Amino acid sequence: MIAALRANARVVAALGARSVKQTFRRPQLMAPIIVFPSLLLAVQVGGAGSAVDLPGFPRVHGFLDFMLAGAMIQSTLLAGNSGGIALAVDIEMGFADRLLVAPISRFAIVLGRLAGTAALGVFAALWYVAVGLVFGARIEEGVPGVLVVVALVSLSAVAFGGLGAAVALRTGRASVVQGLFPLVFVILFLSSAFFPANLMLEPAASVARYNPLSFVVEGVRDPIISALGAHALAKAAAGLAIVGAASFALSALALRHRLRTGGA
Amino acid sequence: MASRALRAELAVVGALVRRAANEILRVPGAAIPGVLAPSIFFLGLTAVFGHLTQLRGFDTQSYQSFLIPVSLIQGAGFTGAATGVNLARDIEQGWFDRLLVAPVPRPVLLAGLVLSASARALVPAAFLLAVGFAIGVHWPGAAGLAIAIALVMVMGAVAALWGVALALRFRSQSAAPLMQAGMFLLVLTTTAYAPLELLRGWLHDVARVNPATQVLEAARQGFTGGVSWGDTWPGLVAAAAMAAAFAALALRGMRRTGL
Amino acid sequence: MPAIETRALERTFAGGIRAVAGVDLQVAEGEIYGFLGPNGAGKTTTVRMLTTLLRPTGGSAAVAGHDVVREAARVRRAIGVALQEAALDPLMTGRELLRLQATLHGIPRGEGRRRADALLERVGLTGATDRRIGTYSGGMRRRLDLAAALVHEPRVLFLDEPTTGLDPVSRKAIWEEVAELNAEGTTVFLTTQYLEEADRLAYRVGIIDQGRIVAEGTPASLKVEVGKPHLELELAGDGAERASAVCSRFGRPLPARDGKVLVELAGGARDVPKVVRALDEAGILIASLELVQPTLDDVFVAKTGHHLEGAEQGQGAEEELTAEPAA
Repeated sequence: MIAALRANARVVAALGARSVKQTFRRPQLMAPIIVFPSLLLAVQVGGAGSAVDLPGFPRVHGFLDFMLAGAMIQSTLLAGNSGGIALAVDIEMGFADRLLVAPISRFAIVLGRLAGTAALGVFAALWYVAVGLVFGARIEEGVPGVLVVVALVSLSAVAFGGLGAAVALRTGRASVVQGLFPLVFVILFLSSAFFPANLMLEPAASVARYNPLSFVVEGVRDPIISALGAHALAKAAAGLAIVGAASFALSALALRHRLRTGGA
Repeated sequence: MASRALRAELAVVGALVRRAANEILRVPGAAIPGVLAPSIFFLGLTAVFGHLTQLRGFDTQSYQSFLIPVSLIQGAGFTGAATGVNLARDIEQGWFDRLLVAPVPRPVLLAGLVLSASARALVPAAFLLAVGFAIGVHWPGAAGLAIAIALVMVMGAVAALWGVALALRFRSQSAAPLMQAGMFLLVLTTTAYAPLELLRGWLHDVARVNPATQVLEAARQGFTGGVSWGDTWPGLVAAAAMAAAFAALALRGMRRTGL
Repeated sequence: MPAIETRALERTFAGGIRAVAGVDLQVAEGEIYGFLGPNGAGKTTTVRMLTTLLRPTGGSAAVAGHDVVREAARVRRAIGVALQEAALDPLMTGRELLRLQATLHGIPRGEGRRRADALLERVGLTGATDRRIGTYSGGMRRRLDLAAALVHEPRVLFLDEPTTGLDPVSRKAIWEEVAELNAEGTTVFLTTQYLEEADRLAYRVGIIDQGRIVAEGTPASLKVEVGKPHLELELAGDGAERASAVCSRFGRPLPARDGKVLVELAGGARDVPKVVRALDEAGILIASLELVQPTLDDVFVAKTGHHLEGAEQGQGAEEELTAEPAA
């Protein structure tokens, strides 16, 4: 039993390593994780930076400090989408069959992909922390804050990655998963990823207040702009739990559906 | 003799345009993100940054009216980049070689690709305008609208030329992010989010010299106020200059593919 | 104990399509079994069921002594699979793929590396081990796929159309490899649409058409069953119908192929001069005439009424200028 667990862990790690290598070897998969959110960050900080002068805006060292969390979460959502696309490509080109014929757990196919996405999440979090520091941001909570940030970001990568994987398994088509790309931004805009919820226009502001993604973003943001609070951390954990549960259920169902109806 | 050659050329251009249209019709699902994305960004950014208009420096209280020209041009940027991505895919799959073997002058081939992008840019634009007016964007007046549409079409061509130049240079779909990022940067390092006085740091400096800022401001006129020739011609000149520059780049790329 | 055994194996897809309509077969250990049939006959579906990728909707199957549904994990441990769409990742290198395959089968790292290197050498890919699979030719990919199927030294090897689309040299290389593997004791279940492949490699052949086995036996015994040679006539002018009528006096007419008139000769080769004379008397001009000994295609025609390979020839891909873009 332990041996089986260890064997599967080894497989998940190997598949995760493959996912990461794939992402680095294909610019189209890497760009949404690093390039686009970084560009958007740069432009939004320069363009909307005066927002710090708005009455009601939280006290921050700089607008960049505020925006880092949003960039990180944007990056992980897109990494989850990229991972879903890669999984769909695996199915389309038959690589998934190679995994299914091997004596490994069926779920390892999904977990391997998610392990890769989590690793990319860690990479992304560190990247944005570094970028932030280089351009003058301050991580108020210091090193423990960075650890919390990295942990939350990689967990959210797994949680959201599961949704991408679910769509990939259910449809088996990369173009469909790719079509979800705008949806990622809809969810981001309807949260406090880019702006405080209380300063957004209705009805988006109300949605943002209750969006689990907002809880996660704020959990990542607090250690950067102020202090880490138990309350915010609890809310972030709750947000992750909600998304994680949904994503686990959906991907399990999608996997079962695929195994049952099988390829031609 | 000459008219036969001309007809052959037009036939090829026609086939190209038809094929581009077929792609949209054949896989309509694939076209939807391209059409919807600018509108999604428009709505999202309005909802998120809408209250910026409370700051001094904005001469309008309607952020959506301020922002819509950005989204219009972004839509043109997406459409043009897509032309480049499709060309890269065609090159990768060998289809493009067949086209090059046909006795058509390179500029004509290029024109076909670019003009269809220019026209296609109107699709997300139309959708965007509908959405915009629905959420209270000011009516720009006939002149304002005409200027905006014209500039959208020129920027669609600019984006397509950029995409084509990259496709020819890299001959692979992995250049897609570069095509998209290029246009992204061009459009957003302007007075996209806020007027010049409110821009901070490096963005302020870049926006001041970026020709796309002129284009944006010219397109924005009607939506945020009145239209005047003085505010229009810099935009037209900037757009024309960019089109010429990128056309030269694309043509050089075509020549360098050995024909 | 048979290496592979199926009983009334069936697979029906949504919409009522019966891809496999009751297949009974047995493959003994150490055999090479050839599953021969045209496209769409149900070969791939059968293989997918035997390799646990697809659940049967009826009947049962056991591979290496384990039921494919109830003991799927055990089956997976015992089989090696090289499927039609060689399941390779173009971004990985050959070495990376084999090492991953070793990990998937729980082979310890050191041992996995050793086997990967050995197999790459065996299939002749040492020059390309660290190049990305995307740069490999079709033949190289198949060889890599075969190597990947062998990493865990399976007892039963499934090869789904292993040489489709390959040039003759690559094809021969794969055949030699398969024969060698079999000599080492591996049972091979091979699907193919090529007569020559089945003829050469298989101990026994099962001919499948429209989801059912229509004939089974060694290639030799199947041909003897059909027995008689046939004549292939290419006419210099028209008159195909008249020619056919004339020939039918000497034996059973067969479906035409490539514009030739075919007739089975009831009396064997000695009837050839009689046929020629009869055609001459009827004023029919012959461009060429060939006497063909029975082949597995004849067996196929005898059992199903249509040819196995006629449509494959002349299948050159000629795209037009207005070809559809590949989505």
